[in-house]
Amino acid sequence: MTVATLLSPSPDREQIVEGDNPLGLEGIEFIEYATAKPQALGQVLETMGFKPVARHRSREVLLYRQGGINVIVNAHAKGSPLTDKPLISAVALRVRDAADAYRRALERGAWGVPTHVEVMELNIPAIHGVGTSRIYFVDRHKQFSIYDVDFTPIPGVDQHPPATAGLHFFGIVQYIGNDRSDDWTEFYRELLGFSALPAEQRFGILPKGRILRSPCPPESRFYIQLIEPEAGVLDVEDDEGLHRIGLGSADVLGTVAELSRRGVEFVSSPSVQTSERGALTRTWLGSVSFEIVHDLRG
Amino acid sequence: MNDFSMDSRSMAGALDARLDAVRETGFSQVTLCAHDLVNHPDGLDAAVASVQASGLAVTAFQADCDFEGQTGPLHRFKLDLAQATLRLCQALDCPLLVLQSSRLAPAADTGSTLVLGLRQLAMLAIPLNIKIAYQGWAAGAAVQTYLQAWDLVCETDMPNLGLSLDSHEVLAANTPQDDLLADLEMLDADRLFLVQLTDLLAPAHQTSQPLRVLPGDGTQREAVAALVTGLHALGYRGSYNLAAFNGDYAAMPPHHVAQRARRSALWLGQDVLQRSVPLPNQIRLRRLKTV
Repeated sequence: MTVATLLSPSPDREQIVEGDNPLGLEGIEFIEYATAKPQALGQVLETMGFKPVARHRSREVLLYRQGGINVIVNAHAKGSPLTDKPLISAVALRVRDAADAYRRALERGAWGVPTHVEVMELNIPAIHGVGTSRIYFVDRHKQFSIYDVDFTPIPGVDQHPPATAGLHFFGIVQYIGNDRSDDWTEFYRELLGFSALPAEQRFGILPKGRILRSPCPPESRFYIQLIEPEAGVLDVEDDEGLHRIGLGSADVLGTVAELSRRGVEFVSSPSVQTSERGALTRTWLGSVSFEIVHDLRG
Repeated sequence: MNDFSMDSRSMAGALDARLDAVRETGFSQVTLCAHDLVNHPDGLDAAVASVQASGLAVTAFQADCDFEGQTGPLHRFKLDLAQATLRLCQALDCPLLVLQSSRLAPAADTGSTLVLGLRQLAMLAIPLNIKIAYQGWAAGAAVQTYLQAWDLVCETDMPNLGLSLDSHEVLAANTPQDDLLADLEMLDADRLFLVQLTDLLAPAHQTSQPLRVLPGDGTQREAVAALVTGLHALGYRGSYNLAAFNGDYAAMPPHHVAQRARRSALWLGQDVLQRSVPLPNQIRLRRLKTV
């Protein structure tokens, strides 16, 4: 089968134009951190309102959850040594058909990630993302979940703890190299169906860079914000990676008040101030921060 | 000298000796190909370590894989090859992969397989922060000229895909100066990622192929100068790769060829482009983007 025929089954008979959401993307299933200090990160997540709900069957991996937000803390070194600074190492996307999404991405030039599945574990297809990160494709998110297979619930713990003040996934901030916005925009457009928002459409209090909108339905829509280095600084091309998670809140000030009561501190500086539009937590462990963004969902 | 890269294929000898020759003659950039690495007597890792230890920046990595235009098992084979080549490029911290147009006839009459192949390769290069410079050449099956290559680059429309222009094609075609400038006007300087410079030295019998020699060593000195001036006027500010390979250079010690290349670079830099001598330890600042 050729690349051409894979993309368009019978190009000599008909041109099939794919829809705006070619993978049937339906939001983020989980975001994964890799760290050598899982307990320290766990404390941060619990301060942010997450609860540990399940452990991986065979690896040092823990699932934290609040509302519809799943965060995995992975302390299982895979080849390269883990660092004390937690790193966002993967984003799992809910798709209509994971195998089909994976094949489609490879046809368009994604790098496949070889998986090493243990007995009784799911094979979750993944492609390489920015830096050392991965993008997983998950299609078991309705009747069954991937956690039913790979994780064991922690006894006595509510498996579905409510979200603090209605928090939900809003997006991910990705740091990129100089003049790389067009490259990454094309990456997410071609492989996943994202589209760039007009420059004047902004969210939150950190309006830099370019914002890409996922093709998900409105209820599960999320965004990727691409941020290049400040103009005038030396080249930092090597520093590409997923930087922070954006969480949506319909009432930012209420959420900030609630999180502050839990011990979360927010950045207050001449350039970054908490407002109805958004807020930014201080950075924990040298690399972990969360941005709260006004979003009426939740 | 900062604008010029020495092509390793222009010199004979072991990789380490060629790198030494390039560095010691004052170049800061070199262009490499897979053979430079895989033929190293101590293996690939040692070759990469030698390049890193040389302090030379790798301007471009020349791919030789007849990639685009295929389907089925051949495409998969070529894809695997291209991925390995990109990994070599990444190991060298090289920002640019030069892809010559394929010598294999495309699987379909339409250009769609060419476009799909180039899109796929360019997409593979994005996470690695590598640009692809596509180059037409006479041996190409479907794409033989830089203008054909440019058309395909435009049709493929990937932000990290651009053009590599080989002066050999321009000189061999002997296009009148006005027509050449009109052709160059069709290019976008921002998408011209590399210029490969050579001069030609024609033997007495016109049936033989002219030798590819270093700029200034051949008989087309004025044409080379006109091309470089024209590209500069177009807005090209990228590197010039001195890519001259022939049996005579291959029989010389690498230092000898590198010295000749230095003369070429000084002539082009000072006389043709009229560059001032750069300050030592110049810090490269990011250029400000204008929206």
